[in-house]
Amino acid sequence: MNQTTIPATAVCRSVLADGRVLTITASRRPRANRADVKCSVAAAPALAQRMQQAVRMARLTEPVLDTRDQVVLSMDLAPAALERDWELAAILADRMVRGVYAPADPAAVFAFGSSDVWHLGRLRLAEVPHHGGMQAQGQHMAAAVCKVAASGQADAGDRYSRALALLGGDGVLVYAEGAAMPPRAPDGRCFAISHLGALQGHADQADCVASVRSWFPLYSGGLHDSLAWVEVSVYPLDPADAAGSEEDSISAPQLEPSRLQALRQTLAAARHFDGYGLGRWRTLVRFGQPDFQGGSYELALVMADRMARGREFPPRGRLIASGQSSAWHAGRVETVEGQQAKLELIIRQAGAGDRVLLPADWSATLPSGYQAQLRQRGASLACIGRIGMI
Amino acid sequence: MGIFSRRKAAHPDLPELGRTIIALACEAGSVAPDGSTLVLCGANGQTRRQAAGKVTLAQGERAWCFHAGPYTLDLLPFAAAPEWGLRLRVLVDAADPRVAQQRFDLMLQSEVAQKLTGEQLRVALQSALQSALALGILDLPPCTTVEEWHVFRAGLNQLVYTRFGLTVDDCVPTDLAPQADYAAILRGRAIAPLAAPVPLLITPAAPQPVAGAIAYGADEDASGLRRLFIELGPLCSGLRLLELPAGGSTFELHQALLLRLGMASLNASSMPSLGWAAPDQPLPVLQQQRRIGSTLLAVQALDEAWAVLARMQLARSSEWLALLDEAERICANLETGLAGRRQLYPPVEEAA
Repeated sequence: MNQTTIPATAVCRSVLADGRVLTITASRRPRANRADVKCSVAAAPALAQRMQQAVRMARLTEPVLDTRDQVVLSMDLAPAALERDWELAAILADRMVRGVYAPADPAAVFAFGSSDVWHLGRLRLAEVPHHGGMQAQGQHMAAAVCKVAASGQADAGDRYSRALALLGGDGVLVYAEGAAMPPRAPDGRCFAISHLGALQGHADQADCVASVRSWFPLYSGGLHDSLAWVEVSVYPLDPADAAGSEEDSISAPQLEPSRLQALRQTLAAARHFDGYGLGRWRTLVRFGQPDFQGGSYELALVMADRMARGREFPPRGRLIASGQSSAWHAGRVETVEGQQAKLELIIRQAGAGDRVLLPADWSATLPSGYQAQLRQRGASLACIGRIGMI
Repeated sequence: MGIFSRRKAAHPDLPELGRTIIALACEAGSVAPDGSTLVLCGANGQTRRQAAGKVTLAQGERAWCFHAGPYTLDLLPFAAAPEWGLRLRVLVDAADPRVAQQRFDLMLQSEVAQKLTGEQLRVALQSALQSALALGILDLPPCTTVEEWHVFRAGLNQLVYTRFGLTVDDCVPTDLAPQADYAAILRGRAIAPLAAPVPLLITPAAPQPVAGAIAYGADEDASGLRRLFIELGPLCSGLRLLELPAGGSTFELHQALLLRLGMASLNASSMPSLGWAAPDQPLPVLQQQRRIGSTLLAVQALDEAWAVLARMQLARSSEWLALLDEAERICANLETGLAGRRQLYPPVEEAA
């Protein structure tokens, strides 16, 4: 990562339970033997200490260590002592200022999430203990947490809608998958994660369910074009159920029956192409935005399925794909419509480490310099005629 | 010279040489089998190769015998894709007359105490490959095209030659499926889940490490410092031999990098002992553990530096600035690790 291309400050925002917008600013400066992370909150040193602890724990999950810079994080407001949903915002600000996380519009990122296991990268809170020697303290804590939750409940939906109102078109709202109060009307800008690697669509390396996301361009006439994601989660099938048909083991609760049938046929055929794909997995497919038409999502779906089953090399960043096929059982990739709009959308959204897969027919009509432009941003492009290696 | 000494009994591992064992340390008086090559390392750190035969050692010399192979190893390039791997066939290369010291001999000298087994080499190659892929030094994306595969192969060959002194004879993507079963791995994770999270709100802000917990051994520190002492010099000379692109600021950056690596080498070779704070004051075990952790950080930076050197040997002139930036990052990590190893107690942090 070339340091000169990343701005020296980054901003990530969150909305507190009482509706105030919290801004966490991260700035980078040469380290010169100082601490790696420094946090400051006016008149709340304990809060600054917690922020530093969360950020340091989350840094343990990054693959690349860089000790050249010091990151200084600051909050413009002091949240209540028991409120913790700003933690994810602090971590994302720390990642954005170092270029580890590069959203399409760095100025418009909202984040809500907290965790007790940041060193594993998971967004998961511990159960508050109700027994044993800690009883009195535990009950006290539980009561306090319930009070916070209750006070948050009244306007939790409000919090998200307030954040969505402040977001631009390319902005993103990241929240925890298992949040007590998810957004009431999540749209394409909302992004739920259960662990930090999910920002790039990667599977959690310690979880027993492998879920991988990949992205596909959703073309809707210009104004609301966006990259939408599809997620495939697989869990090993009981040997007793393996005798059933492959299509019965695949479910997608967001889809109506006819589209579900098409999706099941696509996945089953693609697994047929893959030598060891059939009869091993129970599968769940989810979409970021389930209401769309057309089959250009199929390549993204098939690739997410292959990566979730551990049978495809994962990219360093996200996988962005567009393509469909009438012969997935042969692994063939065929062309889709809307080339111009989709290419423009991809070049706007692709970031460092991303992998773009397009149908082979598009290679002849790519704009000149398109591939070089993508490589400049750290992404790589391939126009493929069939899936799999070479 | 020991010419007339009695022959030692053959080492019990000798028959496996060339199959599961790649190199084996030899005592004076033992006989290296036919088909193998002897590597002798003098007290001054110079290595030389000899034809197989009876081992006669001068004062302070050590010897290894190795079999050139080929060896077939299955590597896993991504931990997240356990059913899809690369099958490599590697050879120990014949002596290259243009270099002062063969890279494989350097590896024997700095990393191999008793023997180098195929499994040890496989693990070392795999971690070098995984780290290069995570850093972006090599690229192996999904649906690799033919051109990308050729670029990857060239980079892999150079990495394996520069880091281990081995020649990659053949490399094919391979399906590990019947043996490696991802479904079984996931089932195992479901049966033995991770420990339940501890609420951060209740535990004290700075968790107190358990006094008796020992994660690292003192031998890890010693072997790490030994590697830094032996390998930083050859790494610098490898960097010095690179042909820089003309113009730009690469020359100054390259010189600054060499200077910093030279200082790091001096720092590593004058490192104080692990267990003592002062001549009659032992250092607490906790601080020793922190020191060993710092050594391991420096060793990790050394491994990454070899990978970047391999990448630089193939680089086009447009890629040089990014690679020098990467080398600067590695150099900073190396300095941080060495500084942490030198400190007796962690520094007091500035107030928030």
